[in-house]
Amino acid sequence: MVKQRKLLSVPYYLWILLFVIFPVLLLLFQSFRGLDGSFTLVNIQTYFTSRVYLTMTLQSFIYAFLITVLTLTISYPAAYFLTRTKNKQLWLLVLILPTWMNILLKTYAFIGILSQTGMVNQLLDFMGLGAQPLLFTRISFLIVATYIEIPFMLLPVFNAIDDINDSMVYASRDLGASEWKTFSTVILPLSLSGVRSGVQAVFIPSLSLFMLTRLIAGNRVITLGTAIEQHFLVTQNWGMGSTMGIVLIIIMFAVMYLTRKRKRGVAVR
Amino acid sequence: MLTEEIIVSFDQVEKKYDKESVLKTITFELERGKFYTLLGPSGCGKSTILNLLAGFTSPTEGSIYLNGEDTKNTPPNKRKVNTVFQDYALFPHMNVFDNVAFGLKMKKLSKEDIKKKVSAVLKLVRLNGYDEREITGMSGGQKQRVAIARALVNEPDVLLLDEPLSALDLKLRTDMQYELRELQQRLGITFLFVTHDQEEALAMSDEIMVMNEGEIVQTGTPIDIYDEPINRYVADFIGESNIVKGRMIEDYVVSFAGKSFQCVDGGMNPDEKVDVVIRPEDLVLTEAEKGALQIRVETQLFRGVHYEIVGMDNDGNQWMVHSTKKTEPGRRVGLQFEPQDIHIMRINETEESFDERIENYSAPASFSVEEGDRLDG
Amino acid sequence: MIKNNKWASLYLVVVFILLYTPIAYLIFYSFNEAGTMNQFSGFTLEHYAALAEDTRLMIIALDTIRVALLSALLATTIGTLGAIGIYYSRRRETQNLLLGFNNILLVSPDVIIGASFLLLFTVVGFRLGFYSVLLSHIAFSIPIVVLMVLPRLEEMNENMITAAKDLGATNWQVLKEIILPNITPGILAGYFMAFTYSIDDFAVTFFVTGNGFATLSVEIYSRARQGVSLEINALSTVLFLVAFSLVAGYYFIQKQQRTRKLAHMDPTNHEKAVTP
Repeated sequence: MVKQRKLLSVPYYLWILLFVIFPVLLLLFQSFRGLDGSFTLVNIQTYFTSRVYLTMTLQSFIYAFLITVLTLTISYPAAYFLTRTKNKQLWLLVLILPTWMNILLKTYAFIGILSQTGMVNQLLDFMGLGAQPLLFTRISFLIVATYIEIPFMLLPVFNAIDDINDSMVYASRDLGASEWKTFSTVILPLSLSGVRSGVQAVFIPSLSLFMLTRLIAGNRVITLGTAIEQHFLVTQNWGMGSTMGIVLIIIMFAVMYLTRKRKRGVAVR
Repeated sequence: MLTEEIIVSFDQVEKKYDKESVLKTITFELERGKFYTLLGPSGCGKSTILNLLAGFTSPTEGSIYLNGEDTKNTPPNKRKVNTVFQDYALFPHMNVFDNVAFGLKMKKLSKEDIKKKVSAVLKLVRLNGYDEREITGMSGGQKQRVAIARALVNEPDVLLLDEPLSALDLKLRTDMQYELRELQQRLGITFLFVTHDQEEALAMSDEIMVMNEGEIVQTGTPIDIYDEPINRYVADFIGESNIVKGRMIEDYVVSFAGKSFQCVDGGMNPDEKVDVVIRPEDLVLTEAEKGALQIRVETQLFRGVHYEIVGMDNDGNQWMVHSTKKTEPGRRVGLQFEPQDIHIMRINETEESFDERIENYSAPASFSVEEGDRLDG
Repeated sequence: MIKNNKWASLYLVVVFILLYTPIAYLIFYSFNEAGTMNQFSGFTLEHYAALAEDTRLMIIALDTIRVALLSALLATTIGTLGAIGIYYSRRRETQNLLLGFNNILLVSPDVIIGASFLLLFTVVGFRLGFYSVLLSHIAFSIPIVVLMVLPRLEEMNENMITAAKDLGATNWQVLKEIILPNITPGILAGYFMAFTYSIDDFAVTFFVTGNGFATLSVEIYSRARQGVSLEINALSTVLFLVAFSLVAGYYFIQKQQRTRKLAHMDPTNHEKAVTP
């Protein structure tokens, strides 16, 4: 009985072995290999002594942080207001729908919108501010990345707020809390779990958005992702690429640890 | 109750959701310091009354007065009313102390006062020493007490309890009934308790309001409502009852099951069709010849305290009897009862005229019914 | 809450406009006679005509759909069986370990997945092309399927299985007659997610695609790097309409199911539904 079930899951276990454990080991192994294929610590040494690599990592980190903060600032109120609308599931779907649009097409749209004679500049011109070079700047990277990541923040935050039982809000009001107090002492703390998963879902990918940097930021922004792609597909320095991959994985685990589920206040229902 | 001070009054309150009427012109008053119960099946609108009073929703028509003031523009956080929620609605991200202190913090009391009041109220609900406990991991009974403490600590004028015992198991529920009743009497706060459980209502209340489909059908003390149900619905809802169709011959004489009986009700039209109620525990099992009615026993169940016997009379009416004596299915037995055990209900009588009639035709000296006493053929 | 209604709606409308502007922009200029994305000089359908005649793009589009359908199917199969495996592993630690492995691919950045798969295929000597892309898509879609199916299994009443066995069902029959029908919504959701993951993926595919094979994302990327081409705008319109109708259909079906469920629900729940 148990054996039969195990047999059914064999492909899944094979998958874990072949596509989860093995690739990570390969990445780790590769980071100890030099350009000539020999075993060496030189990649790790270069990474931690080179100013270029370290500032790049720090920059990537700062960009990811900014993108996360921006998406959260925009998404939290939106998610909160959404839970108060009448057809909330429908409206949520409407706001999430752009996610189903190919990410490259959305990015491509910004090439037009942010271009020298594009919509934003026409608007700036109209307001008498004059056209600014927007495309291929850091600002443009932040704008587009935030745009792309908003739904990934909106969804978990919405779910967390929506999961808060109405009676919590009633109880708080009943005990004398004003609307604002109810929000700050009850809704906000209880929705933090959603914010945490939102941060997780936005911060980690933001470290590695390489096609954005290429299409929108014109190599002005180099994220960890851009650097890895560069090393793997352009300069063919797989060892160094893998080293940065490992760094990215470590950051990923750190972020996951920091945004892990806390025991307290998780079980709302 | 030194003064009969009106603390809550509903004046012609109506509530509609999407054109569907949940409450139909409700009018009632609550006096300070009494234990009131709203009793009715789910969907009858009793929780809506609580929500209206707490301020979570506002009436479509009519006004609600709290301490004589119209509550129309008073938000829930400004009403001296607190609620114990059905699912307790404790804040999971706070411990017991913080939950109970929540309302006091909102009123910006000093830290010392808060501490004093919280520990006093926790003692009151017998949870002293639980201050630092997390909510998750507490038992249902403990959560219940925290919820009560959290509401009581604000010293509300009215405490609203929305089926607070329904999630507890039977034994705990009975214990809490005593405790709540005792608590209410000690504190002298008005309680408005919502339940669908008639036993709970009978055990705890000073006054019960029986509701059905958005209307209050009958208001009265537990004994009044049990003994003088206004109609078939109330009789059926409160306790078990035998309800048969009958005819009023004249004042104090009713006919049902093919015979006439003396009773203690009057004020109906001659020959008026009525519903007759006799409670199963008021029926006494005798030998067939000695009974005022004869039934053939169909089933018998042992219920612990008594046997529940169901039988059919010659007229095709079913009778349920609660008896400590045992009988056997298939046997013919007699049923004895007193005139005051017979409750007569007019069909579609309003509560007003019901009360008036009861007033004028209060029970005369008890008659005794001769065995098989026939007044008409 | 009611007081702030106006501002809340206004805010939502602004967010809505922000999110849809790029898409509207793309679609609007797909009808532009001038070949640019900023000066609208006149209405034309020529870009759509060009799109229809672009056989290379058509082949790529069909390939993309082929990969998505196939990878979603296989990922759903493996993922569902995996979820059943996780659900039935007796020890809590085994379950957590398996879930941990499952989630690694889910949270890993695309670049890492792409790079490590590229390493894998190179080490094993697997030729890059259709099959490497297919395998990669299956691999990164499996965890989402598991995540969609597992909660359904956990919601399932364990006694149903005991009851089925009590009534004489074999293991195979229990799986076929009891477990699978009960988790079908999860499986369908998993398939849907796997399909969209595959269609949307760019980064992983970009790493493992080699020279001979491309998906739409990769093709759009290389064209976009060369500058604006309104054929891409025309393609956007088509893809948006497809995505929109898919999602609308999905929502409609779900809603129907929900109302049907509501109608069958216990009438005594009425009060819950009516009181706020």
